[in-house]
Amino acid sequence: MSGHNESILREPLITGQNITYAKITDDILTPVENKPNRAWWIGFIASLCGATLWVVAVSYTFWFGIGAWGLNKTVGWAWDITGFVWWVGIGHAGTLISAVLLLFRQNWRNSINRSAEAMTIFAVICAATYVVSHMGRPWLAYWVLPLPNQFGSLWVNFNSPLVWDMFAISTYFSVSLLFWYTGLLPDIATIRDRATGLRRKIYTIFSFGWNGNVKTWQRFETVSLVLAGISTPLVLSVHTIVSMDFATSVIPGWHTTIFPPYFVAGAIFSGFAMVLTLLLIARKVLGLENYITMFHIESMNKIIILTGSIVGVAYLTEFFIAWYSGSEYETYAFVNRSTGPYWWAYWMMMTCNVISPQLLWFKKIRLSITATWILSIVVNIGMWFERFVIIVTSLHRDYLPSSWAMFYPTWVDVSVFVGSIGVFFTLFLLFLRVLPSIAIAEVKMILKSSSEQEKLKQIKSGHLDKAQVKEYIESLEKFDSVKQEEYAKI
Amino acid sequence: MESNKKYWKGLEEFNKTSEFVESNKNEFAEPLPIEDVLNEAGLSTVTPRRDFLKALGFGLGAVTLAACQPAPVHKAVPYLIKPEEVIPGIPNYYVSSFNGQPVLVKTREGRPIKIEPNPGAGVFNQGTDAQAQASVLDLYDVSKLKAPVLKNEETTWEKLDAFVAAELAKANASGKKIRIVSSSVNSPSTKAVVADFTAAYPATKHVQYDAVSYTGIIKANENSFGKAVIPKYNFDKADLIVSFGADFLGTWISGEEHTAQYVSNRNSKSLAKGKMSRHFQFETGMSMTGTNADTRIPLKLSEQGPALLALYNALAEKAVLAGAALPNNATADKALKLVAKELLQQKGKALVVCGSNDVSTQILVNAINSIIGSYGTTIDLDNPLKRYAGNDAEFAELLNEMSRGEVAAVFFLGTNPAYDALNAKAFTDGLSKVPLKVSFSDRRDETAELCDAIAINLNYLESWGDANSYEGNYSIVQPTINPVFNARQAEQSLLIWSKAPVTDYYQYVRGNWEKNILPVLGKSWNDLLQTGTFSAAAKPAGAYTFNLSLDAVATSIANSSKALAKDIELHVYESTGMRDGRYANNAFLQELPDPVSKVTWDNYVAIAPKFAEKLELKEFDVVEVKGSNGYTITLPVLIQPGQAQGTVSIALGYGRTKAGKAGDNVGKNAFPFLSFSNGTLQYATTVTISKTGATYELAQTQTHHSFEGRNIIREATFTEFVKNPSAGNAKHGHKSYDLWDKWETPGNNWVMAIDLNACTGCGSCVVACNVENNIPVVGRDEVRRRREMHWLRIDRYYSFQEGDKSVSEEKEIAHMENLDHVTVVHQPMLCQHCDHAPCETVCPVLATVHSSDGLNHMAYNRCVGTRYCANNCPYKVRRFNWFNYWNDSRFDNYLNNEFTQLVLNPDVTTRSRGVMEKCSMCIQRIQDGKLTAKMQKRPLKDGDIKMACQQACSAGAIIFGDSNDPESEVSKALRSERVYYVLEEINTQPGIGYMTKIRNTDSLPTVQA
Repeated sequence: MSGHNESILREPLITGQNITYAKITDDILTPVENKPNRAWWIGFIASLCGATLWVVAVSYTFWFGIGAWGLNKTVGWAWDITGFVWWVGIGHAGTLISAVLLLFRQNWRNSINRSAEAMTIFAVICAATYVVSHMGRPWLAYWVLPLPNQFGSLWVNFNSPLVWDMFAISTYFSVSLLFWYTGLLPDIATIRDRATGLRRKIYTIFSFGWNGNVKTWQRFETVSLVLAGISTPLVLSVHTIVSMDFATSVIPGWHTTIFPPYFVAGAIFSGFAMVLTLLLIARKVLGLENYITMFHIESMNKIIILTGSIVGVAYLTEFFIAWYSGSEYETYAFVNRSTGPYWWAYWMMMTCNVISPQLLWFKKIRLSITATWILSIVVNIGMWFERFVIIVTSLHRDYLPSSWAMFYPTWVDVSVFVGSIGVFFTLFLLFLRVLPSIAIAEVKMILKSSSEQEKLKQIKSGHLDKAQVKEYIESLEKFDSVKQEEYAKI
Repeated sequence: MESNKKYWKGLEEFNKTSEFVESNKNEFAEPLPIEDVLNEAGLSTVTPRRDFLKALGFGLGAVTLAACQPAPVHKAVPYLIKPEEVIPGIPNYYVSSFNGQPVLVKTREGRPIKIEPNPGAGVFNQGTDAQAQASVLDLYDVSKLKAPVLKNEETTWEKLDAFVAAELAKANASGKKIRIVSSSVNSPSTKAVVADFTAAYPATKHVQYDAVSYTGIIKANENSFGKAVIPKYNFDKADLIVSFGADFLGTWISGEEHTAQYVSNRNSKSLAKGKMSRHFQFETGMSMTGTNADTRIPLKLSEQGPALLALYNALAEKAVLAGAALPNNATADKALKLVAKELLQQKGKALVVCGSNDVSTQILVNAINSIIGSYGTTIDLDNPLKRYAGNDAEFAELLNEMSRGEVAAVFFLGTNPAYDALNAKAFTDGLSKVPLKVSFSDRRDETAELCDAIAINLNYLESWGDANSYEGNYSIVQPTINPVFNARQAEQSLLIWSKAPVTDYYQYVRGNWEKNILPVLGKSWNDLLQTGTFSAAAKPAGAYTFNLSLDAVATSIANSSKALAKDIELHVYESTGMRDGRYANNAFLQELPDPVSKVTWDNYVAIAPKFAEKLELKEFDVVEVKGSNGYTITLPVLIQPGQAQGTVSIALGYGRTKAGKAGDNVGKNAFPFLSFSNGTLQYATTVTISKTGATYELAQTQTHHSFEGRNIIREATFTEFVKNPSAGNAKHGHKSYDLWDKWETPGNNWVMAIDLNACTGCGSCVVACNVENNIPVVGRDEVRRRREMHWLRIDRYYSFQEGDKSVSEEKEIAHMENLDHVTVVHQPMLCQHCDHAPCETVCPVLATVHSSDGLNHMAYNRCVGTRYCANNCPYKVRRFNWFNYWNDSRFDNYLNNEFTQLVLNPDVTTRSRGVMEKCSMCIQRIQDGKLTAKMQKRPLKDGDIKMACQQACSAGAIIFGDSNDPESEVSKALRSERVYYVLEEINTQPGIGYMTKIRNTDSLPTVQA
């Protein structure tokens, strides 16, 4: 990839001057090789408090029973499955970035894939905790696995979407973990080479004997590509199967064929929002502005607006079909969503997911870090509400009006959800301390082709189309990490 | 073939070396160094590292093994000497009676666990009421006293007897009065005991007093016809029934019998013959009977008298009584004219009943019934009912006697005046002046608390006794278990204290029957113990004519009506579940939703929606209700469509303070609102209502009350039905496609048919299901969280009449001006055992699967509790065990102790927390029926197997059976044109067919004003 010169029309993926391979390593490993700063400690302690809350709430649930939650005879799932789907959805961006963008040779992914994949893993862990904790008898959770009868469980029901779900989530988790870890190998080896003492020993073990010779690199590239090939269908399949938990049921508002594409789009939507939420802060705190640039941010914003619009169209389609189907239950379910007792949740979802992302059509907003960060949070709130709306407002008023009920969360419901965010951030902050948050090796790959300094060198060499150079320089205006004085002279 | 081969373990054995022979004698090949280890030196050696590791390993392993949870040890003690008639696993049935209803008590290994109707009881009892079903729980009530109490301390019977005998001797010597106060006694043996006691202590008088009184009817009949009785009402012979505030299907006199009679004229069999009775209900509060009426007109209490007068005027040819105007109720006025016309057309086939306890009102009702020829046809004065004989005036007189200090001894039997007397203060004050106060209560209740001695009585399941429900009808009460606590039957106590020659009550009852009753019936004692109930041939019902002057009556009615017509009129009524409060500690009944409001665990102030708007009250606002006598309580508001404007209703039976764990402080006591006038208790008064600002959420099992125009409820008028039997039952003609194969049901295919026209909504089936299937009671808070566990529920939907249009959608209802004309439908809802069950496909662990006999099974032990099945159930009949209800101190009102757990049906698995459950179609009964047939080497017959709900239903609304047998009752029922399946359009293929609700309203399209 570094053999040819990239078109000057493309924005640089690494900004800054005097970037060397060594500097990249130093920059990225700063948080790993130094004592944590105050910001990290504050974040970590807050997250740990959240994680403790999660432990308390889940233990309380296990001790007393699911009755600790606000569920009832009519609404059998609420915050639990909402949280589950939300976390699984968030995980999607990681896979999309690492797999799909790799296959499409989108080199800008190289700066963000590591964190996104880590986020995927942690989000799926959070989702998986819900799978177990929402069960009435969580100690028997392994019964959903098709284990031999001697093990104590009996065979499973392959007709049940929950069994598909179990396969989908476990496959997703294992493939994502494998992909992430494979990508980490050269970087762990880098840390190993720079470390001493016990740290060196630990990183030696985890680097799996990486020696950096050509054959190793070649195999690494091959394995990455193979895993990308395996992961790509997962991007589509996981949330498709999650959506089937609802789509294969008979409940009005759930029984919808549009769910698979709509869920996948929603998942990518929320995933990118979460990546932005995390990286905008990490970029600043860890001083990684040169590697995660405005170009990355804008690109992700563009994906958000695309997927957000898909989700919006899906919402409208659902409504149209509810009316067009002529099924009174279906019609009622949707009218009830928008005007019934949970109308606020519906309009919260509509505002956060459909209306506010449209602001990103404005370049100014797309390029504003503050606005982007706020919108990313808004999208995640909206996506949580989307799942809440789908699950609770469909269940709470289904076929027989006699059983219509309301759902009110208890402190345990809230704590399990807030706590799961704590668990997520605890894991993510630990990740930032022990592993490189940006794929060092992959960033180095594009230094010679797509960095600002390389392009500047080309411009200075003088045989480029003037108009193109002008356009390139104009495009640099949006970068907050580019020193404009350099270009003023040209 | 025996082998001659010999195997050897080594050359040493082969060669039989001497060392081998020597060492082979020992158990261990090498001597164990036990001595070395145990001697002083061995014990003090420093443990080598390897030994330490070994010990550590062993220790860890041992601890791990020990820590593995052992299965809990449940001791099952076998019979040392097996009782002749008890075979473990096989139930024994004994005939008995509950409140005079002949029942069959099912016992398992000596424990009564279920009440069933006595099949030999004939027409009186097809089913049982909810109270009878729930009564087994009372036997295992931990709130009962375990030994007799004397001066607030547990004592022995000897001491108690000595004390009472001494006090009685003193009383006798003083010449003062002795009083036995009881609720109505209809037991011939108890009456004989009281007579014996009276003979021993001539100053004794037996005062019978019922908290919910029928004195008015008794007095009225005495006045009109010289017969101080409650007649037998024949609702089956009535083609036209007009009720003024009588909840005759529920609480009024004898609801279960009335239900059976009433439904026989309206159920599918009757409809098939093209016959259906017509029922008008004029009432204040929405009663269960009102919900079943064809036409229900809200009527204020103060309008009830004038309405009856108006009806009389319309019927009578000459006499015109004054005060008959209904100036503010044009609808009722109009309806009354129509009713009068129809009553005259249906002479001899009509019946007018009234729930009032006012003598004058009942005399007027007698006059009306006389005009329409009810006596001898629909009213039988010659075979009267004997269940109620209470006399309000005698009790009022007792209060006076007590306060004057004339009473030396008082005994309370089955009554609790400290709670339910209208003037509890006067009662307690008077009581304190009585030297000897004895209660026969089984617990320290409100009255027993004030007594010197509590001679704890037995539960009816531990007792001998008898009942005489109707003239000539006798039934037996026999014990089904030895007394659990150190209790003694009240009658026996009385016999002992009166120094009777026979003090063993069994001997006494038997003697009484053999002397007085059996010879008349021509039966033997053993016959009686087998059949439980006998009726002598009924006397011919005579026709009686009313020919007294009504002028005084009319004046009295008009006066009391005028007195009521101020402020807000309060209607106090007997609650369907709690009745007069005596069942307050029965958790099954507390959790049984009210048939109309679906409220559990509380009473409330029922107010009509528009009237509440006028008073600026919202649902669950806590209001202070102040009676005209100054009595004040605070209760939450319940918006009750159909409640008469300007009135509120409050249920009796709540607000017990000394009932027990479950019943204490549930709701508020409304008895003090009662008043005493014209010689009887009056259940009406006027109140003022003020808001307290607080709110209190009532625990309702249903919070949405309209069926939103969905075709889950299908109804038609009788005229439409006669023209077209499938009226209102439009079929979906579209073709359906199946993803799954059809289930084969080679043997039986169990299905059910439910007749919406027979179901009155009483809820007896719900309690029967609870008892049969060990369904947990969850308590008020959990019901509020919508987590009641009932497998079978009765959905109650309101729709409203606007012109001749029925409005059932919430949005339209919100805009209606007049919400008085509410029509109600009750729909029992339980697992539909769908052939294409949505729950089955989604369960990840195959915990719910289809059986080859058409049932949807639930394997509790397989369930991991994802709740997906419940979410995907369109009928929402699946119930999740949110907690361990039997082992969690927060659910202390039911099974949380080993004694009450004895009520559990051993044939039904109890469910742990985290497990889904639902109606199993009484799978244990199906299995039992199949096994019985197999043992008797015969095919299963239709009717061999009965569901618990079906058995309890007095209306016969539920039919269960095999649809593979075309001749079975259920197959025949399901062939009716009225049959539809709820949500059949989503192709779940339910196994339960419902029959359309038919209303006989057609000729009354314009009554709604």
